[in-house]
Amino acid sequence: MEKKIGVYICTDCEIGKALDIDQLVKVATKMKAPVVKTHPSLCQKEGVDFIKKDMAAEGVNAVIIAACSLRVNYDVFDLGIPLVERVNLREGVVWSHPPNDEETQMMAEDYIRMGILKMQKMEAPEPYKVEDLCKNVLVVGGGLAGITAANEAAKAGYDVYLVEKGDSLGGWMAKLYKQTPTKPPYTDLEDPFINDLIKEIQQNPKIKVYTSSLIEKIDGAPGLYDVTIKQNGNVETFRAGAIVSASGTIPYDVTKIDHLGFGKYPNVITNYMMEELASKGQIVRPSDGKSVASVAFILCAGQRDENYLPYCSATCCIESLKQAKYVRNQDPEAKVYIFYRDMRTPGHYEYFYKSMQNDPGVFLTKGDVKGVLEDGNKNLNIEVENTLLGEKIVVNADLVVLATGMVPVSGLGEEVLPPGVKPEDEFQPYVMIEADILNLGYRQGGELPVISNGYPDSNFICFPYETRRTGIYAAGTVRAPMDITSTIEDATGAALKAIQCIESSIRGEAVHPRAGDISYADFFMQKCTQCKRCTEECPFGAINEDEKANPIYSPTRCRRCAICLGACPERIISFKNYSVDMIGNMVKNIEVPEEEEKPRAIVFACENDAYPALDMVGISRLQYTPFVRVVPLRCAGSMNLVWVADALSKGIDGILILGCEYGEDYQCHMATGSHLAKIRLSKVAETLDRLKLESGRVQMEQISISEYYKLPEVLDSFLEKLKGFGPNPYKGF
Amino acid sequence: MAEQISPDLGFVKDVIAGGGESLKKCFQCATCSVVCNLTPDDKPFPRKEMIYAQWGLKDKLFPNPDIWLCHQCSDCTAYCPRGAKPGEVLNAVRKLSIENYSVPRFLGKAVGSPGSLVPLLAIPTVIFFIILASLGHLNLDAIRNEAGKIAYSSLLKSYYIDGVFVPIFLFAVVSLAIGVSRYWKDMIRATGIKPKGSILDAITSTIGEILAHKRFEKCNVTIDRKLAHMLVFFSFIGLAITTAWAVTYLYGYEIMHAMGKTPYPWLLGPSPYPLTDPVKWLGNISALALLIGITLVISNRKKNTEKAGKGGYYDWLFIYIVFAIMATGILAELVRLADIAILAYVIYFAHLVVVFFLFAYAPFSKMAHMVYRATAMVFAKATERDVQS
Repeated sequence: MEKKIGVYICTDCEIGKALDIDQLVKVATKMKAPVVKTHPSLCQKEGVDFIKKDMAAEGVNAVIIAACSLRVNYDVFDLGIPLVERVNLREGVVWSHPPNDEETQMMAEDYIRMGILKMQKMEAPEPYKVEDLCKNVLVVGGGLAGITAANEAAKAGYDVYLVEKGDSLGGWMAKLYKQTPTKPPYTDLEDPFINDLIKEIQQNPKIKVYTSSLIEKIDGAPGLYDVTIKQNGNVETFRAGAIVSASGTIPYDVTKIDHLGFGKYPNVITNYMMEELASKGQIVRPSDGKSVASVAFILCAGQRDENYLPYCSATCCIESLKQAKYVRNQDPEAKVYIFYRDMRTPGHYEYFYKSMQNDPGVFLTKGDVKGVLEDGNKNLNIEVENTLLGEKIVVNADLVVLATGMVPVSGLGEEVLPPGVKPEDEFQPYVMIEADILNLGYRQGGELPVISNGYPDSNFICFPYETRRTGIYAAGTVRAPMDITSTIEDATGAALKAIQCIESSIRGEAVHPRAGDISYADFFMQKCTQCKRCTEECPFGAINEDEKANPIYSPTRCRRCAICLGACPERIISFKNYSVDMIGNMVKNIEVPEEEEKPRAIVFACENDAYPALDMVGISRLQYTPFVRVVPLRCAGSMNLVWVADALSKGIDGILILGCEYGEDYQCHMATGSHLAKIRLSKVAETLDRLKLESGRVQMEQISISEYYKLPEVLDSFLEKLKGFGPNPYKGF
Repeated sequence: MAEQISPDLGFVKDVIAGGGESLKKCFQCATCSVVCNLTPDDKPFPRKEMIYAQWGLKDKLFPNPDIWLCHQCSDCTAYCPRGAKPGEVLNAVRKLSIENYSVPRFLGKAVGSPGSLVPLLAIPTVIFFIILASLGHLNLDAIRNEAGKIAYSSLLKSYYIDGVFVPIFLFAVVSLAIGVSRYWKDMIRATGIKPKGSILDAITSTIGEILAHKRFEKCNVTIDRKLAHMLVFFSFIGLAITTAWAVTYLYGYEIMHAMGKTPYPWLLGPSPYPLTDPVKWLGNISALALLIGITLVISNRKKNTEKAGKGGYYDWLFIYIVFAIMATGILAELVRLADIAILAYVIYFAHLVVVFFLFAYAPFSKMAHMVYRATAMVFAKATERDVQS
């Protein structure tokens, strides 16, 4: 169908007062837009009707709305057609620049021009649809998280396969004697409810449970996973749409903590062993079977300690208090000592902590346990420093219980380097540990990429439930250390995410973070050189390889970040509405005045944080240089270096990339996108030197939305720096 | 060197039972030590006392002068974010400390426990009843002096009263002296500090501070206590002088009489004395001051219950005994003047019982705070552990 572009310029929100609207209309008309109109307030019903009338009467099918930022009123301007483009005259121009100023006017005109060019290059995307996508959910792990996820998915109407390695369900929770209180007044221990949950899933016809089973292999992509499991030597295969990985944790190996005496002295046990003792009916000393009269709990045993587990396992404080109650209930004259580093009992646990604190037989102190030594009676002398009692103390107890931390099973295994990455490389795209849990058929390794300490990467800000594999959701203690309540919430969330993934895949939409995006990557394979850049750089493992190193793209794995588009040196990867050619054209058509005092810089801004931050600048009426032209990118990582060349050869004085924070505590929605952008830029320097251009003309900044107030300074000082270089010598060529 | 710590669960329970029921709520934030105006800056109280008490470490508490440097202003209690009421807890610890040093120990225990109140009251009641019965003075209505007036000296000749009170007074003094000297030695042992400088200077300075009630001035929440305590304190002194004065009147008269001399006219002999006599002025003014003082003590406590805590049995027993002494004393005089014989003698009898209670149990009751606190203050001054004034 012939594209008929309509440009609608809104004059509300100070736009009409600050800009020469007639001039803007002329610019658009000159760009051969067939319909160019202004309206006093486009976002009102009259405004939307005004556009719709043209669509109906004049056949306008590609609408450019020159008004506010694309971040607002997107629902109002949902016109039921795929080609709607927004030109940001409000936040990006009049709210952040002086009114009725020549430079401000030029900025607005450039944005109109760029918008029309973008639209001219844009094609209507159509969703990628596969027939017979599978709607079943695979849950890996039969502990509390797995059982909850299975239950929740089944309740929502989805068939579930639950695969458990052990011969019974329930995981660690089934081994508890009692559980911490869940009901007011939050002071009484309760019987673990896991058995009810196990019964529930065993009776649910929608859930098929495989115990004593391991996953041999998972091939495919969301909606199309082919799962092979091995149960007692028998191999079975089935298809699944999405996966919840609830593979859980194991206790930390406390024999590594030399000074606490575990393994050396029989009466030093772990919190896990304490549950077993209590379940047997009486808490007795392992050495002589005598009922205990005094028990010392050492919290954070080998935790929050760089030598052992650097993190907090979230449950030990409350679980130790619970076990203290076991002891006190058994013998009202028993003494319980609790040595803690910080008592962490958030939420309702505080009531339980208070009730235990109020027990006369519970002696609490903060302190650093320096060592545990056995005396002649096989009692333990616990030496503690920096106590609240003011000095170094020694306490004698019958039994010592170490609050042992959780180690995610995803961290158990050998770390393998990504293909092509050397250990000394500064940029490590991901960490892959062969933990033998999922055994995925992905080019980038068989398990979920992990972040610190073996936990699957599941960014706590950008994608708390997601992993770096679309369609696979880590839940429960394998994702992060958590307690019973949080595990239930987490597993429920993961089940819903799995369902969301299945449904989005069926509709041919992206799942996250560009939820609902129907565009997808298109590879012009004739020109592919098998350089592997796309397969290596995709943070989500969406691109496999055939034996000839040709990329094999899985749209349902894809998050539409377009990092592959930025990576491809041959520029063969494009989206219908986002391509190298499209952005390149916008860049090349910015008007570059010849005067030295009117420099031009392009700002490639990440749509996730930097672009909204720029909007915040406008909303806050902060002012920044009018010599910049902002181009939103799906991700800083989608920046293709050819755009830099395009811009510089056109006479643009400098290029600034605004991406998210990268590195250890990265905040990039696309995991490694902004880091990849930085690496690509570092390679530009040589090219610039060859062109006799200063490498400082290209710069990258990391910005998060909360730092919006820094942006005017960032932009203005970049322009100052460019002034120092003098005009781009290619200007006017 | 690490110190072996052995918590005493029984002690924890005793503190809780003795008015420190909030003890275990403390989570050691030390707000209490920060808001306290009475603590020295170095190793301030009451934060450390709170954890010692929580851990049942009585050996760290009893020989510690700090528990007595606390005057229970209750600023700590008012500001405690956890409702742990350090003021109340330290009060309970002090009670147990008095009990710990008391001789004989069983009396120390008895005075602190509500269950023993009846037997403790029964002792003086029985003693005085036996005396009255053996004198045949149970026909109260008929007892009059030579002038035909109600006269308590006719009910019980002073020899009988003094025969009871002088021994119990001596008992109390000796018992307290032993208790306090044990405390003193314990403080030296536990702190490892021998008092330096002049003990006499420390004593003088302490007495001066006590008379001026300087420490009470540093309290914020319970600043009103200064006036109440002063009234009670000085009225006791007034009543002590009154007693000495009356003793002089009586025994001076009797001695001169026995020596065959004519007593001086101002030695009035056996009571009652006319209201115009200065001894009556002092006695009555002191009684009124005590009335006002002890009433203020009660009303202040009621008023501050929310911020400062309600106080334990041990405190209230002492307050009510003082109140009873005051009330029976004033009523005995009024009813005597109103010439209602039976009632007057019954009230007088009650007065004797409660005064006995106060004196005999002084080493074991809150009354002993006077001596223990003063001792701790002297020790603190002598060891240079004193709050900067």
